[in-house]
Amino acid sequence: MRLYQPAGTLETLERLLDDPVVASSVVARRTLPAREAVCEPLPDWLDPRISAALRGRGIDALYAHQADALHSVRRGEDIVVVTPTASGKSLCYDLPVLQALADDPAARALYLFPTKALSQDQLAGFRELVAAAGLELQAAVYDGDTPAPIRSVIRSAGQVVVTNPDMLHSAILPHHTKWFQLFEQLRYVVLDEAHSYRGVFGSHVANVVRRLLRLCEHYGSRPQIVCCSATIGNPQALAETLTGRPMTVISRNGAPAGEKHIVVLNPPVLDQRLGVRAGPIGLARRAALAFLRAGRQTIVFGRSRVGVELLLSGLREALREGRGPLQRVRGYRGGYLPSERREVEAGLRSGDILGVVSTNALELGIDIGRLDVSVLAGYPGTIAGTWQQMGRSGRRQEASVALLVAGSGPIDQFVAAHPDYLFEASPEEARLDPTNLHVLLAHLRAATFELPFEADDNFCGQPTSDMLAFLAEEAHVRQADDGRWYWASENFPASEISLRVAAPENVVIIDVGGARPRVIGEVDLFSARTLVHDNAIYLHESRQYHVERLDWEERRAYVKPIDVDHYTQAELAVTLKPLETFVAAPAGAAERAHGEVMVSSLATIYKKLHLETHENLGWGRIHLPEIELHTTAYWLALEPAEFAAWRRDELDSALAGAGRALQTVGSVLLMSDPRDLGMVAQVRSPHAERPLIYLYDAVPGGVGLAVRLFERHAELLEAALDLVEACACSDGCPACTGPRAETGGTGKEAARRLLRQLNAVGGLSSAA
Amino acid sequence: MELARSPASLPAMDTEATLPSLLGRRLDRLRQAAGDGPAASAQLRRPLPPTNRAAALAADLGGSVRQASDGALVVVESVVELPLEVGRLLGLPFAPPAGAPLVCLDLETTGLGTGTGTLPFLVGIGTWQGSRLTVRQFVLPDHADERAFLAEVSAEVPSDACLVTYNGKSFDWPLLTTRFRLHRRAPPLPCAHLDLLPVARQLWRHRLENARLATVERGIGAVEREHDLPGALIPERYFAYLRQRRGALLREVLEHNRQDIVSLGLLLQVLAGQMSPVADRRAAQPGDLAGLARAYARRGRHEEALSCLEAALGSHHWRDGVTNGAAVHRRLCVERAFTLARLGRRTEALHAWQELAQRGGPGAALAWLRIAAHREHRQGDFDGALDACQHAADICSRARLWGRPLHAAERDLAHRSARLRRRARSARFRSAAAARTEMVRREVLPATA
Repeated sequence: MRLYQPAGTLETLERLLDDPVVASSVVARRTLPAREAVCEPLPDWLDPRISAALRGRGIDALYAHQADALHSVRRGEDIVVVTPTASGKSLCYDLPVLQALADDPAARALYLFPTKALSQDQLAGFRELVAAAGLELQAAVYDGDTPAPIRSVIRSAGQVVVTNPDMLHSAILPHHTKWFQLFEQLRYVVLDEAHSYRGVFGSHVANVVRRLLRLCEHYGSRPQIVCCSATIGNPQALAETLTGRPMTVISRNGAPAGEKHIVVLNPPVLDQRLGVRAGPIGLARRAALAFLRAGRQTIVFGRSRVGVELLLSGLREALREGRGPLQRVRGYRGGYLPSERREVEAGLRSGDILGVVSTNALELGIDIGRLDVSVLAGYPGTIAGTWQQMGRSGRRQEASVALLVAGSGPIDQFVAAHPDYLFEASPEEARLDPTNLHVLLAHLRAATFELPFEADDNFCGQPTSDMLAFLAEEAHVRQADDGRWYWASENFPASEISLRVAAPENVVIIDVGGARPRVIGEVDLFSARTLVHDNAIYLHESRQYHVERLDWEERRAYVKPIDVDHYTQAELAVTLKPLETFVAAPAGAAERAHGEVMVSSLATIYKKLHLETHENLGWGRIHLPEIELHTTAYWLALEPAEFAAWRRDELDSALAGAGRALQTVGSVLLMSDPRDLGMVAQVRSPHAERPLIYLYDAVPGGVGLAVRLFERHAELLEAALDLVEACACSDGCPACTGPRAETGGTGKEAARRLLRQLNAVGGLSSAA
Repeated sequence: MELARSPASLPAMDTEATLPSLLGRRLDRLRQAAGDGPAASAQLRRPLPPTNRAAALAADLGGSVRQASDGALVVVESVVELPLEVGRLLGLPFAPPAGAPLVCLDLETTGLGTGTGTLPFLVGIGTWQGSRLTVRQFVLPDHADERAFLAEVSAEVPSDACLVTYNGKSFDWPLLTTRFRLHRRAPPLPCAHLDLLPVARQLWRHRLENARLATVERGIGAVEREHDLPGALIPERYFAYLRQRRGALLREVLEHNRQDIVSLGLLLQVLAGQMSPVADRRAAQPGDLAGLARAYARRGRHEEALSCLEAALGSHHWRDGVTNGAAVHRRLCVERAFTLARLGRRTEALHAWQELAQRGGPGAALAWLRIAAHREHRQGDFDGALDACQHAADICSRARLWGRPLHAAERDLAHRSARLRRRARSARFRSAAAARTEMVRREVLPATA
């Protein structure tokens, strides 16, 4: 049988699913029916030049969402457009902007994209439309790459300025007087890919938008705002939080789509007791190969740079020697040169490139056309991300396929165990908290630099006087005799804030065992303390490495390959001090609350454990600095009377196991990176003298996860119990209550009992 | 928390009453974390009514109060005898427009950035009444008075004026414009702006360690400032004044600013005195005049450039010795020769090059090459040109022996001599052919005759 033979997408899928290895891994299969286009005619008030340009490009009618957006904007509303990938949403803002500029060339518009590459991509599209309409417009990208002589031209004459939030924050707003022509005439602000503005980054961007709107008010303009977002659970709340304005949601997707087949795969279990599964890469490669050999355009998403490279080299290896279209499979990730990336994008659009392996770099709205198949090697972490990546496959007419191969992490396993969650649960919410005190104060400084505050002014919906008085103590601002607050420092506050510091720096892992040092991976700073401390045994791609030295200052870990019969497990002493309870409410056998806490964590010792028997072979100390975190938390304080019958060690492992489950479910519910949510369980809290489980925002000041957990408490407990009960493991695994070694032999059972008791309404049932 | 607005959220988070207190408590905790207790807030002062604070400042600085509806400010005036014949500036390459009153301007600010958070709190204005320079300094008593302050400053810069500043094109003026824009007022539009920083760089930088105003005035005007406040300390002085309301803190800042204005006047005086086309420029330093010549040349004014160069070569300073005199003299001669050539005065240019060539030294190679060019292109004398090249080649090889090869001359030489040898050969061939023809004609013709 020839391995390399063109075949239809569905035919190939059926053949793949007949493969016994694949068939045994399928946990869910769904078919999304084809959807007809829903169109509306071009509005008659549209400038004839624009209508002609659209018709010239074969657009005789608008999709429903485009028409809705156009009408809403014309009524003067601020809108958020929520439609899937590649549904033509650029027109939702390009058309109103073009119309405004056709009516009045003095009008101005500001486009914000989260990345430079997107800015260039969108500007090219906009210019084509402008040229087709025969309009004379100045549209330009203003970012760090813009040459100095052109900058002053853009400042005074740019009618459409395309930039990113970072540039707006550090270069445009603090120098707004040089941009007065823009601010005086600003009609539209476009925030595309708004769902990427979440977490700390989103909190910063929301503050930058507030500063922008504040300056517009000063210059007498009131721009309308058009946000575009991928499908998320709370587009309206996201856009409203981001901009501080009421928003109209445009979600009537009118773009057509062919039938779509979605398959969720879970790799087989390798070790039942430990709950260890095979990684997603092997299965993802097997699936991708089948489609590539059938000549179907396929995109494979890996979770990390290293994962992408592994997948790519695996695929190329398998396609070598004439067994497949080797040269037509390419990689795509952040580290590639812009020219290489442009080449891959163009190749995908033209069909010259058959397969691409990418990180989520291709998740954002870069135009690569529509492909036949998407393979997700590992759950992207969020439903929205999943749909975005799956949305990369999807032809207007023909059927398409999306495969999700679950990884071995807890979130992946939750999804694999509950595939319905992907299809039916309300999509997650994008969270941000512009009033995070650290973020807010930083931007209040920058805003004062830009324009003085009146005594009774609000910023971000908050009264400013207290905060400004606080800043005055640091001598950054002063209240003048007229009661206004003025910037009073030599510093340039915008340079002190980086919008994207949210992700903590990573520690690079370098293999120095070979002839040349080689980077084999990276871990985030917090995990580094427990994974790559001195003398740790670090597992990477199923190989053991011994950590020779962790250079904490330089963020580097030097490792050498080793072959030993043990692994190491570090203990992290996390202490948590509640500072203030904002709200507390009874919750059955416990009390739920949220408030402010101080978390300090210190890696103390590591244990050497035998690979098979897990017996303790020795231990060592870890010498690394303590990390302190001032943040918000949600906690469950158990009523001691209700748990009087429990043995202490039993309760201890129950709390740890239940805490793990709550943490997993919590990050799934709130669409957060699992690392953004920390957990501490205390069998006898030194502060409350009772058993406690804390879930806290793992970024300074918090982004509002804790308060949402508090609100969704009932849902959270129910889902956590469900997770534990549905998990196939016998004594606890990384996917539910944590590995057996962490909670002891009865951890899972104890956690299940505890969660049942907490779920019981009103705390009527007590421990047996 | 914006999301708390949705009905499902907590009542406690969106009521106006609880938020400030919650925020206040969180701020208090931040204060404790930062290590300073509420003591820091004790410095809050009672606001002063505008007239009082301006009056107090005026008393401290020896100035007067100007009261307007939207604020008050302090004006400190002083007069210096500093005669300036503006007419003498007119022929200069960077002359102010004829008839435009000169307005010297210098700001003191709360920082070096040009962002909107940098505040000019002192504007010094210098204008001439006859031979006297009046320095009027406008001092801002408080942030609150800026509108009145800007209005007064605006009145000092009429639309027919020519601003005179030092680095004002990139700093002072854009910053002042920013303040007007910030208050949504039209900035004043003077008809011209003479920034003396580039002028100083062209004329005087060659003999100074840097082009800062104080350095320049010391270098050319022999003015030595006493107890001058370093510019870096100025922002903190103003912030200290705002906190303590002691006007005396600003005295040194005002003196620094007054000196800067006077220095602008002095620089103009030097320009009008030594550099003016109607002056006897031989009193000026030859290096300064070389800079002036370049400034003329850059604007295509080669006649004036030539007269500067000739004045420089005849400068009185040669008698007392000029730093690095030989090199300066040689450069001037080279410039002069080039300028003569640009003006089409070829013969004079040739003489100038010959003189340089005779003098020997590092400039001679270039001179011989120019002579070679002249002989080749103007006179068609290829052998003579080759001879000149040989001179240049000798100098180059000597320089190479000394370890200081003349790369530009060597490159020029390589091309030029190759071309010249080619042309000389073909010229010889042609003339030989012509001679043969002639001979044949002579020999044959009589026979046929």
